[in-house]
Amino acid sequence: MESLDPRVNRLDLKGFQGNLTRKAPLDQFGTFEVFIQMKEGKPYQHEGIVHAPNEEMAFIFAKEQFSRRSTCSGLFVVETRNVFVTDFTEGEDTIYNYISDEFPKEGDKEEYEFFHLMKRGKQHQHVGSVEARTPQEALALAKPAFINEKPVFNAWVVKTSDILFTSEEDKHIWDTLPEKKFRDASDYKASDKIKAFKERNAG
Amino acid sequence: MYGGGNTFESAKFEGLENEDPQKLAEFEARIERGEKIEPNDWMPQMYKKQLIRMIEQHAHSEIIGALPEGTWITRAPGFKRKLALMAKVQDEVGHAQLLYSAAETLGKSREQMIDDLIEGKSKYSNIFNYPAFTWADSCFISWLVDAGAIVNQLANARGSYGPYCRALDRICAEESFHLKYGHHCVIHMATGTPKQRQMMQEAIDRWWGPMMHFFGPPDKVSVHTEVLMKWKVKMASNDECRNQFLDMYVPKIWELGFTIPDPNLKKNPETKKWEYTEPDWDEFKRVINGDGPCNAERLAVRRVAEERGKWVRQALLTPKTKYVTPLA
Ligand SMILES: [Fe+2]
Ligand SMILES: [Fe+2]
Repeated sequence: MESLDPRVNRLDLKGFQGNLTRKAPLDQFGTFEVFIQMKEGKPYQHEGIVHAPNEEMAFIFAKEQFSRRSTCSGLFVVETRNVFVTDFTEGEDTIYNYISDEFPKEGDKEEYEFFHLMKRGKQHQHVGSVEARTPQEALALAKPAFINEKPVFNAWVVKTSDILFTSEEDKHIWDTLPEKKFRDASDYKASDKIKAFKERNAG
Repeated sequence: MYGGGNTFESAKFEGLENEDPQKLAEFEARIERGEKIEPNDWMPQMYKKQLIRMIEQHAHSEIIGALPEGTWITRAPGFKRKLALMAKVQDEVGHAQLLYSAAETLGKSREQMIDDLIEGKSKYSNIFNYPAFTWADSCFISWLVDAGAIVNQLANARGSYGPYCRALDRICAEESFHLKYGHHCVIHMATGTPKQRQMMQEAIDRWWGPMMHFFGPPDKVSVHTEVLMKWKVKMASNDECRNQFLDMYVPKIWELGFTIPDPNLKKNPETKKWEYTEPDWDEFKRVINGDGPCNAERLAVRRVAEERGKWVRQALLTPKTKYVTPLA
């Protein structure tokens, strides 16, 4: 097969003796949830996931996938299986109505981060952290602050130590974003050219 | 790019009678109210199957769609065009990742989907089975194939499945750059030398047929549309999307002094709908079933990448992380 693409021809497809077998169900990278802060002071928001072999790679993929444009001042990644997910509620019902005050009391206290879903169809946002021994205890401790507020339809609770954050000295990775105008529609204006072309043809 | 309505094969439609009627009614009421369905919500098996198939085929289309344009990165005229095209192709591959993740929330893993693609078990947008002979073909794709994709994607972004809609919102925002960049390229060719104009005209002549195929067969032969419309899996019919595309872009092509290779193409002033010669639907069927000019090459390139990249993937695998279904 002769391709129009010189790079494809260099792949030597004809000489390729493929020996591909289907991957086993778990023969793949882990999944990481990605959170982005657009500007200093704004809450971190869930943006999607990446697949990666470890946190550091997840961070690099997340930076490339979710902060190529606009502005960014911070990024979190956390492995999906380290996220504790509550039940879901609807309407005026908040999940904090279902948080039990009974929780196991063994172990050392650690910090847990909270992400709330405030609107169906939207993304989870970071709201703060508490110190607790388990996610259940963290939710019970957060309950008084949220139970009489706007309904929370779902919460994710994550041990702070399971999250990879942007460090202060890493933040320069976004310094060049404003220079990357070639990624923006606004860099491709051509209406003058069309107008000149039409005038030339009319005249 | 490139959600393609019924261009894509739909799943077998059956088993609805086995669903719990009360849950089904609640599910349909939720959609009727304009709420999104989220991964943890109850949903009929058919809805899930159909969405996996559709989002997966959309994701494959992004990956395969990057190939004909990727071809031109090294040969794009000048540094600025190279930079822009590289950014666009990166976006398309990123779109595939966003879409695979959205499909994964329904329970099919990314690697299973990629295996299905390279084994030829999965479909992708048919238009990428055609070759990009010249730089002008690349300009046509960037402007008009993306324009067609945007028509589909904006429609689908109003659909009912939360993770798919959120991926599409992100995708549509990036597509606005693709569209402007593509238009910029075509305008440059149109206002250039006679040779450049001729190249562009030839590309339009080559791509018009596949572009008309892009939105899928006419509505009168499409199937299952009704319940998919009710569930907001399908948001507009193939003919509606095609008509919208013609309405938005034919005047812009004509404005640049190009012709379109269809003597019957015109807007009916009474119905306000476009009339055209039906493209060759037998060719469409032949190509989508594997017998197009580039089908074999496209899949072979993916297979080689998979095979030759295997050692990197395996070297990086560690038991420390584990694959689980993503959350949202
Ligand atoms: Fe795309
Ligand atoms: Fe695109």
